[in-house]
Amino acid sequence: MDRNFSTNELMDRASSKRTIALISRGVLTLRPPPEPLSRSGSPLHPRLIGLGAPLLIAALATDLAYANSLLFQWENFSIWLLAGGLLLAALAGLAVLLDIVLHRITGIHWVRFSGFSVAALLSLLNALVHSRDAYTAVVPEGLALSAIVSVILVIIGWRGWSVSARQTTNPIISEEAQ
Amino acid sequence: MYNLQFRAGNALAALLALSACDQKVATPNTQYGANPVLPAPQQYLLPPMSVPPAVGWNQGQTPVVSASLKIRAFATGFEHPRMVYTLPNGDVLVVESNGPKAPIYRPKDYVEGQVQALAGTNAHGGNRITLLRDTKGSGVPDVRTIFIDHLNSPFGIVLVGSDLYVADTDAILRFSYVTGQTSITSQGVALTDLPAGPIDHHWTKSLTASPDGSKLYVGVGSNSNITENGIGVEVGRAAIWEVDRQTGLKRIYAAGLRNPIGVAFEPQTGKLWAIANERDEIGPNLVPDYLTSVRDGGFYGWPYSYYGQHVDVRVQPQRPDLVATAISPDYALSSHVAPLGMAFSQASSLPARYRSGVLIAEHGSWDRSPLNGYKVVYVPFQAGRPSGPPEDVVTGFLTQDQEKVQGRPVGLAFDHTGALLIADDVGDTVWRVSTAPMKQPRPAS
Repeated sequence: MDRNFSTNELMDRASSKRTIALISRGVLTLRPPPEPLSRSGSPLHPRLIGLGAPLLIAALATDLAYANSLLFQWENFSIWLLAGGLLLAALAGLAVLLDIVLHRITGIHWVRFSGFSVAALLSLLNALVHSRDAYTAVVPEGLALSAIVSVILVIIGWRGWSVSARQTTNPIISEEAQ
Repeated sequence: MYNLQFRAGNALAALLALSACDQKVATPNTQYGANPVLPAPQQYLLPPMSVPPAVGWNQGQTPVVSASLKIRAFATGFEHPRMVYTLPNGDVLVVESNGPKAPIYRPKDYVEGQVQALAGTNAHGGNRITLLRDTKGSGVPDVRTIFIDHLNSPFGIVLVGSDLYVADTDAILRFSYVTGQTSITSQGVALTDLPAGPIDHHWTKSLTASPDGSKLYVGVGSNSNITENGIGVEVGRAAIWEVDRQTGLKRIYAAGLRNPIGVAFEPQTGKLWAIANERDEIGPNLVPDYLTSVRDGGFYGWPYSYYGQHVDVRVQPQRPDLVATAISPDYALSSHVAPLGMAFSQASSLPARYRSGVLIAEHGSWDRSPLNGYKVVYVPFQAGRPSGPPEDVVTGFLTQDQEKVQGRPVGLAFDHTGALLIADDVGDTVWRVSTAPMKQPRPAS
């Protein structure tokens, strides 16, 4: 059984005997406390990464459609998807800086940050490949790059689009039945 | 994750290496004539290019000619002059034109538009034909009128009897012409439609008439570099059409010429020749632009192959059946020179050494680094075939340091005295090249 507790509930319950007992038995686990929301609001960058990443992943689908059909319009879809994804990636990069400056995040999760950065840089290469004319704009390098970027984004994005060192979602205590 | 970063690092290093790559490019003289050296094709992240900004000519500046020739501005102040044509009474027509607005189908189209604006090829075209008349024979016209206005990206022009044909980008128009006329206000009659928009990538329609005047020949360029807009939009393109002058019925005379932007009959043999611009983005020395005789029913490779059976892997699905029949053109001019104008010189009054071949205007392009073209060359002919390497006749369109473009030559024609006229679409000038008086003193006129 999973239960969510607010911070206040957690503070109240922390002193209760039952809670201490559950924690000591490993049934209740405490996640790190949430970052305090700064007055300037919640971080901006996850929203931008969350908009851009699906575009880059969609380019894999349109690349596959091109490779199977040889219809040039799929290649045009791919390059516009890549261009849109790159624009949002650039904005997301600026947003990370802004989030740091405004103390919306207090630390960077470097593995996640690097993953997203690599995906963006590979997509930049991919946009250059996709700016070739006709078949070699997609096959084989373009398709391969789209696939690598998609795998990176799905793996990292599975746990959200933030690069913050701490979770920005609501605090969760998972209480598991034995 | 480290593995991925490593991959990215490698790819980026490769990118930087490619863009900073200072490969040695074989000189153009390895690609003149019947058997040009063709290196292996490359696929680029950033194709090699060099974009000298267009600056135009300062007062008194001219292109450069050898000592046996002299050059001066015949007339200036045009709106993107592309073609010159001399009427039988000596009047000179200047076609002022540029292509229709190119649609943006990919981000690259936008970037290329910006690059072309810098290189001076996006200037507003007049969509008209201006008439120049030199009543005093001074080499400078004293009458200048708008001959035909409100055309649609015109390029080719030819007079047969009293019928003047103008090749707009979408149709061949016929106008009735009376000798001495300085302006035509009647609407042209469409003899036949030509492949045009909405893409109209290579928009120019070159035009000439058969020696007996019964047929017109129209060069129609491809609708893409190499089928990136789909094969469907290439119907009737990259071909030379033969149009019956009486009925307007037409057929494809020869195909597979990517952009046959000049067509002309060789006067000695009466055979049709063409200059064509070949494909881009597979290397600084691929693919050489060419001059070739044009065989009835011939297929010259585009898009599937070049110079015979050199297959272009960018085109899928391929057509081995067509590639097997592809004709290798007669004479390579070297790569990315962009030949845009041609004139057989037998009737010229240039020095004798320039009088038995063809003059070709090489507009130059930004698709190659180092630059190539930006000059007018002479290809000597013997017995109706090219007989030697091209020689420079008019140069100096680039500044000496090759950093800036002052002019770019396009259309060529001889005026009624046999002097060479050159339309310069960046300098907005028509240049006149004549024999220098130095060696042979001219009789006082």
